[in-house]
Amino acid sequence: MILIHCPYCDDIRPELEFAYAGEAHIARPADPSALSDAEWEKYLFIRANPRGRHNERWRHVHGCGRFFNAVRDTVTDKFELTYKAGEPRK
Amino acid sequence: MADAAVRTAPVPAEAAEFPGVSIALGAPLARWSLRARDPKALAKAIGHKVPGTIGETLGGMACLGPDEWLLRLPEGASIPLGEGLPLSVVDISERAVTLVLDGDRAIDALSAGCPRDLSKFPVGYATRTIFETVEIVLIRESETRWSVDVWRSFAPYLWTALTTAASHLR
Ligand SMILES: [Zn+2]
Repeated sequence: MILIHCPYCDDIRPELEFAYAGEAHIARPADPSALSDAEWEKYLFIRANPRGRHNERWRHVHGCGRFFNAVRDTVTDKFELTYKAGEPRK
Repeated sequence: MADAAVRTAPVPAEAAEFPGVSIALGAPLARWSLRARDPKALAKAIGHKVPGTIGETLGGMACLGPDEWLLRLPEGASIPLGEGLPLSVVDISERAVTLVLDGDRAIDALSAGCPRDLSKFPVGYATRTIFETVEIVLIRESETRWSVDVWRSFAPYLWTALTTAASHLR
């Protein structure tokens, strides 16, 4: 089982306590009605989907409940690091 | 039609006994979910000491997250609701029931479905975690006694899973 460090609990917990929540650092447009359909589509659906290092959101859903960000390698499934929501991209 | 709320037990009232562990429905409790950015303001509002570290318990109150606590007190207890303050006090007494596991092998029965290393839990440690697919709040009350708070509708499943695990202990 993969073990994941929760930056809020500051503890390493089994992956069963966590839920994946998609790519990280996607800011909601401040004024959605000013966007074209193509721009709105890009915000809603288009993701980087890299092979390798990926900044992504996780939630410690069966733990402290907090969302946080992680850098995970999509090839090896190894977690490089985790950091609190709101911190800059790492 | 009578308009009275009747509490029914979702699991057998009789404790299930196995070599090294008994599993029983705990007494009904008063429970609150407490949320606040400032633990000191929360402590002042409800007149109760607030544990500051995730996992810590203090006088029936467990710190579950950076701004979240679970307070469990005997049935009938009440606390101030903190009206008008930037915090949340929600009565969740009837949402969950408590299963109490007692005995040397309680840790083995729990480990059958919980992925955490329970041997590392100090007495007094409390955490939200998972048993098989069911979310629980697990509290180590003593070396051999464990409290499992589970949502009422999941209790029959958890009862079956725990008693099955306990019946397989060798
Ligand atoms: Zn956590």
